Amino acid sequence: MNVWSIIGALAFVIIGPILGCVIQGADRIITARMQGRKGPNILQPYYDVRKLLEKDPRSLNPAQTALIALSLLFAIVAGAVFFAGGSFLLVVFTITLASLLFIIAGYMTPSPYAQIGAQREALQVMCYEPMVLFVAVGIYLATGGFDTSSLLSARLPLIGTEPLIFCGLVFILTIKLRKSPFDIAQSHHAHQEIVRGTITEMSGGTLALVEIMHWYETVLFLGWVGMFCVNSSPLSILVALLVVALVWFAEIWVDNNFARVKWQVMLKSSWGVALVASVVNFSLFYFLSSGGIIIF
Amino acid sequence: MGIIGFLIVFPLVAAILCLVSPNRRLREVVVYVSATAIAVASIVLASGHLVGGSTYFTGHTHVIDWIFLVVDLALCAYIMWRSLSAGRKGIFALACIQALLVCVLEFGVSGSVNVSRAVYIDSLSSIMVLIIGVIGSGICVYAIGYMRDFQKHQAELAAEGKEAAPDRQNLFFAVMLAFLSAMFGIVLFNDMAWMLTMWEATTVCSFFLIGYTQTAEATNNAFRQIWMNLLGGIGFTLAVIYSGSTLNVIELDRFVNYGLISPSFTMLPLALLAFAALTKAAQMPFHTWLLGAMVAPTPTSALLHSSTMVKAGVFLLIRLSPLMGPFITASANASINPVAVSTMLVGCITFLVCSIIAISQSNAKRILAYSTIANLGLIVTCAGVGTAEAIWAAIFLLIFHAAAKSLLFLCVGTAEHHVGSRDVERFDTLVSRMPKLASLMALGICGMYVAPFGMLISKWAALGAFADSGMMLIIIMLGFGSAATFFFWTKWLGKILCSARNVDNVETTVFVPEWIALVVMAAIMVLSCVLLPFISSSIVSPYASRLMSGNIWAPTPDDLIIMAIMAIIVLTVPLAVALRTRANSLNDQRQWYMNGVGLGTNQDGVETFRGSLGGEVLYEQRNWYMEDLFNEAKLSRIGGIICILVALVSIACAFGMSYISYFVGSVI
Repeated sequence: MNVWSIIGALAFVIIGPILGCVIQGADRIITARMQGRKGPNILQPYYDVRKLLEKDPRSLNPAQTALIALSLLFAIVAGAVFFAGGSFLLVVFTITLASLLFIIAGYMTPSPYAQIGAQREALQVMCYEPMVLFVAVGIYLATGGFDTSSLLSARLPLIGTEPLIFCGLVFILTIKLRKSPFDIAQSHHAHQEIVRGTITEMSGGTLALVEIMHWYETVLFLGWVGMFCVNSSPLSILVALLVVALVWFAEIWVDNNFARVKWQVMLKSSWGVALVASVVNFSLFYFLSSGGIIIF
Repeated sequence: MGIIGFLIVFPLVAAILCLVSPNRRLREVVVYVSATAIAVASIVLASGHLVGGSTYFTGHTHVIDWIFLVVDLALCAYIMWRSLSAGRKGIFALACIQALLVCVLEFGVSGSVNVSRAVYIDSLSSIMVLIIGVIGSGICVYAIGYMRDFQKHQAELAAEGKEAAPDRQNLFFAVMLAFLSAMFGIVLFNDMAWMLTMWEATTVCSFFLIGYTQTAEATNNAFRQIWMNLLGGIGFTLAVIYSGSTLNVIELDRFVNYGLISPSFTMLPLALLAFAALTKAAQMPFHTWLLGAMVAPTPTSALLHSSTMVKAGVFLLIRLSPLMGPFITASANASINPVAVSTMLVGCITFLVCSIIAISQSNAKRILAYSTIANLGLIVTCAGVGTAEAIWAAIFLLIFHAAAKSLLFLCVGTAEHHVGSRDVERFDTLVSRMPKLASLMALGICGMYVAPFGMLISKWAALGAFADSGMMLIIIMLGFGSAATFFFWTKWLGKILCSARNVDNVETTVFVPEWIALVVMAAIMVLSCVLLPFISSSIVSPYASRLMSGNIWAPTPDDLIIMAIMAIIVLTVPLAVALRTRANSLNDQRQWYMNGVGLGTNQDGVETFRGSLGGEVLYEQRNWYMEDLFNEAKLSRIGGIICILVALVSIACAFGMSYISYFVGSVI
C-alpha cells in the first residue's frame, strides 16, 4: 500500500462512474450515428439513472435490492483493487462475486424471463471465465506475480509477451460489455426475446444501481485492455488510452453489425478462442524463455 | 500414544455397544456419547501435534501384527463369502489373491523387516484426525435424526408392499463408528502393513454402508465399489511386499526418505501406491464406484465424501508427494517421473471432465458426487506436482472440501426427507419452504466456489503453484474446469434462493440431532475460512516447507485482509437483510411480468398466465442442463479412456525403469 495505490483506488471510486457514464453516452451517440440517427445527449445515461432513482420502490422481492447493492459494492471493490495495483486474481474473483450476486438477484423472483436471463448470465460467466484466468496467468508469467502494479515497472508491455492473450481478452470483452452478438442474457438496447432478461423484474432504484454498476464495470474492463499496453515509460499510458479507444470503437462497431448468436455458438467460440490463445501463447512463452522445457 | 490407542479402539467398543443395543433409545445415547468422546479426544490429540515436527511411537509388537493379520484375513473371508453367495466369481478371485498376498506379506516379508516407528503423528495427520474426529462424528450424530426419518419412510414402503430396507440400524451405526476407527488407523500408522489392514477395513465398511438397503441396485453398486477398491488394495499390498523384500523398508516415512535418495528403486512401489490411492480417491476411470455409492442413506455419502474413504486416497498421495514432481532431480541428469506425471494428469483430467459432467446433472447427490470427484482430482494434481506451494494448496483444498461438502450432504439429506425428492428442480423456492436449511445450503454452496471462501483461495494458490512449475496444460484444464464449476453451482444456488408466495414452512419437523450437526458443520466451515491466515502461517506453511524445500506462495496479508472484509460482508449483509425484510417472501401486491396477465399459481399448483388470445396458459420452468452438449455417458467414457491410457503408459515406464536399474545396478 503506497500513496499511488490509494490515489488509484480513490480515482476509480470517484471518477470511475463519471467516466463510465460519459462513455455510455458516447456509445449511444456513436451507435446512433452508425444507424443514421442523431442520438441522445451525451449525459443521457445520467438523466436516466436520476429518473430511476426518483421512482417509488416497487420490488417483487425486497431482498433483490440488497443483493444488487452488494453486487455494486463488490464491483467497486474489484475496480479499486485493480487501479490500486493489487492482485489481478483478487480483482477477477471479486468481480466474479459481483456477477454471482447479480445472477442470484435475477433468480430471486419467479419470473421466467428473469430466470432464463439469470441462467444465461451464468453461462456467459462460464464462457469468459477461462480467458480471464488466462490473463491472470499471463501477468504471472510476465512479471512473476499477480500484481498489476508491477506492469508499470516492466520493460516490455504485456502485449509484447502475451499478444494472443490480449486478442482473447478483446474477444470475450464483447460478452463482458453485454454487446451483440453475445448479449444473450440481457440486451443493452432494446426488448429481446426474453424481455429484459435478468433485470426484467428490477425497477426504480434497483435498476439505477444496475446502471451505475455497468458504468463502473465498463471502466474496469477497459482498464484491463489498457493494462496490456503500459510499461515503465509514462508515454505508454497515452498509447494505452489510444488502444483502449480503438478497442472500444471496435466493440461498438461489432455490436452494430452482428446479429445475436445462439448460446452454443457463444460457448464454443469463446472456449475455442481461449483454448487456442492460451495454448499457443503460453507454449511460445515457455519455449522462448526457457529454451524448450517440456510442458505438461 | 494413549489417545491414539483410544481413538482406534474406542470407536470399535462403541460399535459393539451399538450392535448389542436392545432398543433405539440406548443406541442413540451410545452414538451421542461416543461421537462426543471421539471429537473431544481428536481435538486433544491434534492440538498437541498440529504445530511442530513429527512425533514417533514405537508400539510395534508381533502380537499386534498377528491381530492385524487376523483382521485382514477375516475381511478377505467376509468378501469371499459375500461374493460367492452373490455369484460374483471375479470378486471372489480378487479376494483370494488379496488373502494370499497378505499371507505372503506377513510370513515372507514383514517378519524380517525391522519396524522401529510403527505410529507417527505430525501436522498433516493432526489435520486429518480433526477432520475425521469432528466432521466424522458430527455426521454420526446427524445420522441419528436422519435414520429415524429414513426407516419410517421404509416402513411405509413396506406397508404398501413395496421393496423396502429392513431396519438394521444397530449394524449401520456400528459400521459408521468402526469406519472412523479404520480412518484413524490409516492416518496415524506408519507401518504400511498395519495401514493396509485399515485400508481394507474402510473398503469393507463402505461395502456394507453402500449395500445397506439390500435392494438390487444397492447390492450391485456395493460390489462395484468392492472390486475397484480390491484392485487398489492389491496394488497397495504388492507395493508393501516389494518395498519390504527389495528395499527392506516397511515404514511409510522411511520409504519416502529412501525414494528421495534413490528414486529409481522406489518407482515401482510408488506407482502401485499411487494406483491404490487413485482408486480410493475415485479418480477416473474408477469414479463410478463413488457415483454408485449414492444409493446409500445420505449420512453414508457424507461420510464417504467428506471425512473418510476418498480422503484416505488423497492423504496417501500427499504423504508421497515428496517423491512426486514431474522431474527426478536426485540424479545428475534430470529425467521424467512417470508416476507423478500420470498422477497429475489423471487428477487434472478428472477435474475438468467431472466439472463439466456436473452441469448435466439434476440429482443433487450426483452433482455433489461429481463435484467431490473433481475436487479430489485437483488435490491429486497438486500432490502430483509436488512442490511446497502445491502441497499447501492440496492441504487447504482437503480441509475446505471436507467442511463444505459435509455441510452440503447433510443439507441435501434433510431437504430430501422434507421435500420428497433429491432433484434440484424440486428444491425450487426452498428459501420460502425451509428458510434456515436453505441458508445453510447456500452457505455450503458458496463455500465450494465463491470468493472469499476457502476453496477459492486454495484454487488461487494451486494456480500460482502450477504457473511456477510451468504446468501449462494443467493450468488450461484448471481454467476451463473452474468455469464449469461456476455454472453448475450457480444454477443450483439460484434455484433454492428463488422465493415463492403462499407456501408452507416444512422445516419444523426436522429432528434436533440434524440441526446440531448442520450448525456444527456450518460453524466449522466459517471458522476454517476465517482462521485461514492463522492456519496457513502456523501449521500448513511450516509443514509444506519441511516436506519440500522451496518458498511457499500464498495470498499476501493485504489480499487476506481484503478477503476477510469480503467474508464479513458476504456473511452479515444477507443475514441483516433477511432479518429486516423477510427475504423469503414475495411482495403480495405485485405479480411478475408475463407478457400477458399473470394469474399466479392455480389450484393444481401450476403457474398460469392469460395469453394474448385470452386463453389461460400453463407454464413451468426448469434449470438448464445441456444434456446434448455435456453428455454424461459420453464424457465419462472419454475421460476414463484417456486416464487409463495415461496411467498405463506411466506404469509401463515405471516398471521398465525399475527393471533396468535392478539389473544394470546403476541409477538412471
